Amino acid sequence: MSKLESSARTTIETKSNAQKLLQVKNLTKVFTKGQGLVRSTILAVNDVSFSLELDRPEIFTVAGESGSGKSTVAKLILGFEVPTSGIIQYKGEELSTLRGKKEFMKDVQPVFQNPFETFNPLKKVESYFHETQKNFGMSKKNGDVAERCLELVGLSFREISGKYPNEMSGGQLQRASIARALITNPSLLIVDEPVSMIDASLRMSVINLFKKFKEEQGVSIIYITHDLATAYYVSDRISIMLRGQIVEIGSVKKVLDQPLHPYTQLLKSSVPLPDPANRWTKEIALSDMEAKEYGQKGCKFSGRCPHVMEICRVREPDYFEVDERYVKCYLYESGSGQSAV
Amino acid sequence: MSILSVENLKAHYVTEKRRKITRVLAVDGVTFHINKNEIYGIAGESGCGKSTLLKAMSGLIKPPLQVLEGEVKYHFDDRELDILALRGEKERREIRGARISHIPQGSMSVLNPVRRIRKSFEDIVGTHLGIRGGSEFEELVKSHIEALGLDWNVMHSFPHQLSGGMRQRITIALATILKPDVIFADEPTTALDVVVQRGVVQLIKKIKQEQQNTMVIVTHDLAIHANLCDRLAIMYAGRIVEEANVDDMFQTPKHPYTEMLLNSLPTLGDRSVRESAPGAPPSLVNPPSGCRFHPRCPKVMEKCRLEVPELIEVESGHQVACFLQEGRVYEQTRELGANYH
Repeated sequence: MSKLESSARTTIETKSNAQKLLQVKNLTKVFTKGQGLVRSTILAVNDVSFSLELDRPEIFTVAGESGSGKSTVAKLILGFEVPTSGIIQYKGEELSTLRGKKEFMKDVQPVFQNPFETFNPLKKVESYFHETQKNFGMSKKNGDVAERCLELVGLSFREISGKYPNEMSGGQLQRASIARALITNPSLLIVDEPVSMIDASLRMSVINLFKKFKEEQGVSIIYITHDLATAYYVSDRISIMLRGQIVEIGSVKKVLDQPLHPYTQLLKSSVPLPDPANRWTKEIALSDMEAKEYGQKGCKFSGRCPHVMEICRVREPDYFEVDERYVKCYLYESGSGQSAV
Repeated sequence: MSILSVENLKAHYVTEKRRKITRVLAVDGVTFHINKNEIYGIAGESGCGKSTLLKAMSGLIKPPLQVLEGEVKYHFDDRELDILALRGEKERREIRGARISHIPQGSMSVLNPVRRIRKSFEDIVGTHLGIRGGSEFEELVKSHIEALGLDWNVMHSFPHQLSGGMRQRITIALATILKPDVIFADEPTTALDVVVQRGVVQLIKKIKQEQQNTMVIVTHDLAIHANLCDRLAIMYAGRIVEEANVDDMFQTPKHPYTEMLLNSLPTLGDRSVRESAPGAPPSLVNPPSGCRFHPRCPKVMEKCRLEVPELIEVESGHQVACFLQEGRVYEQTRELGANYH
C-alpha cells in the first residue's frame, strides 16, 4: 500500500486553529470485490480531507457524479463503514471511540435519498418519532418535541399521526424524515441526495428548509448531491469529487462561478440550463473509461483532460492554493494558474 | 404539417375490487398535434399522466388501461393510421420499431443481460428487414453505430460490461436503426450523470439531424426540454395546461403552474430565493373539481373551482388553459370590436 503512504503527504491545511466540529483527514476507504484470484480492489474514497468549524454553521456540499465516492464519505462519517485509513474527528474526539455512542448519534443525524426506503412500509410514520425520542431518552410527552420539529418543516403531528408511509406523498414523507432527524437537536445533519426523488414543484421547499435550519437553528449540514444548481443555491462551501478524490474545494461562489480544475469546468458546462437561448452548442468527447479511471496513475482526469501534460499521467498532483480555494491540478502549480486556462 | 394528432384523448386505469370500481384519470381530455420533423416535449411531474399518454400514443393499451374517448392518428407520407383501431398484434408489431419507436428510461431492463449486444441488433434487424447475419447485417449496423460515435467492439460485449451511459447510447442506437418516422423517448436522460446526460442529448440531436424524424421527448427535467425541444407541452394532473414553442414558454409562461415551475428552478450563477408552490400534485383517483391546479394556485378565482378551463390560443402558437387568459382574450376582442364599430 505504498500508494496510500505516499498520498498521505498531501493535506489541505486549515489556517485557523479554532476547534473543529468535524475534521476529516486523509480519509481512505478500499472496497474489495471477489475472492482469491478474481479479487479486485476499488479505492472508493481516496485521501479526502476537509473540516467544518464549530462556531460557524455552514452548508458544505460534497458534489460528484455516480461512483465518485460521495455517498461513501457520508457513510464513513456516520460510522456505517469503517475507514481503511485516515482520521475522522468529531468535536475533537476520534470517531472510532464514538461509533455507536448515543451522544454521537444524537448529535449527528442522517437524511437519506428515498423516503419510501427510509421508512418501513409496515410501520406508522409517527412510530419513528416516538422511537427516536425514546432511544435518546427524551421527553415521553409525545407530540411536544415532535410537534415542534414537524412545524419547522411545515407539517403538523395531526397530518402524520396514524398514517403509513404509502399514505403520504414523497415530498411530505421526505419532510417528515427531516423532522425526525431534528428531534434530537443535532449539530450536524448529513443529507444524501435529499431531493432527487422529490417532484420538481416541491423540491425547493425542502432545499429552503436546510437554509432555514442553518440560519435559525445553527445546524451545520453536509449536503451530498450531484446537482450543482441546488448546491450553488444553498451551500457555502463545496468540494468536487472525482473517483474518490476531492479535485477542487472552496467557497461555492468561487468554485462554480469560475471553476479552475478542468473536471469542474467540464461538470459545470454539462449542467443543462433552463434557458432555450443558452443551448449547448459545443460537442463534447464521450469517454467510456469510467471504470478505468479508478486505477489511473497520476491524475484521475488525465485520460479526458484537454490540458493534459506529461507529468499528469505519471504523478498525482498535490493541492495548490489558488484564489481562495484548493485545486488538485498541475496547471496551478505556480500558484497563479489563471493564465494557464 | 402534422404527423401525429391526438384528439380529446381520455385514457383511464380502471380496476375493480369487491364491486368497487376505482378509476385513475391518468389522461383526461388531451388534444395536441405534432408537426413533422420537430422535437416535441412533454413536461410534467411524476403522476401527471405523461407516461400513460406516451403508452396511448404508441398503442400500448393493456388492461387496466382503457381508452374511453378520443383518437390517436398518424399521418405518414404513404398512409393514414389510427393506432387505437389496430386490432391485430401482428399489425401493431410491424408499425412499432419500423414506423414508430421507443427509447426507454431504464437501459438495464431493455437489453437482455445474458445475450451479447450484437444479438439484440440481430433480433430487431432480422424481424423487420429479414436480414439475418452476414455482411449485409454487419454493414448496416456498422454504418449506423459508427455514425453515432460508438465503437464496433461494443457489439461483442454483454450489457453488464458497459457503463450506464454507454448502455443508454446502445439503446438509442437500437431504437433508431430502422430510421423510424416517429421516436418516443421516455425520460431518456434521467438517472444519468450530468456529463453522460449531455452526451445523450448530443446523440439525440445528431440522430434527428441525420434521419430527419419526428421526436417526442417526455421528461420532468425542464432544462433538458430547453436544450432539446422545438415545442413544449406542460401537463398537470392528466391535462395539458400550456403549449408553446420553447422560447415563448421559457420567456413568457402564461399558466400559473408553468410560472411556478420555472420560478422554482435554481440556476448556476443566481442565488436569489426560490420558492415552491404550496401543496402537492393531486391524486388522479379523485382530482379537484374545475381547474385541477386551483387548490395550489395563487391567483385562484371562484370560477376556477367550478368550471374546467379550455386550452385556448392566446398568442400565435401559444395555448393556455386558464381563466385568467380567457379574460384577457375577451378584453382584447372587446377592444378590437369597439375599434371596429
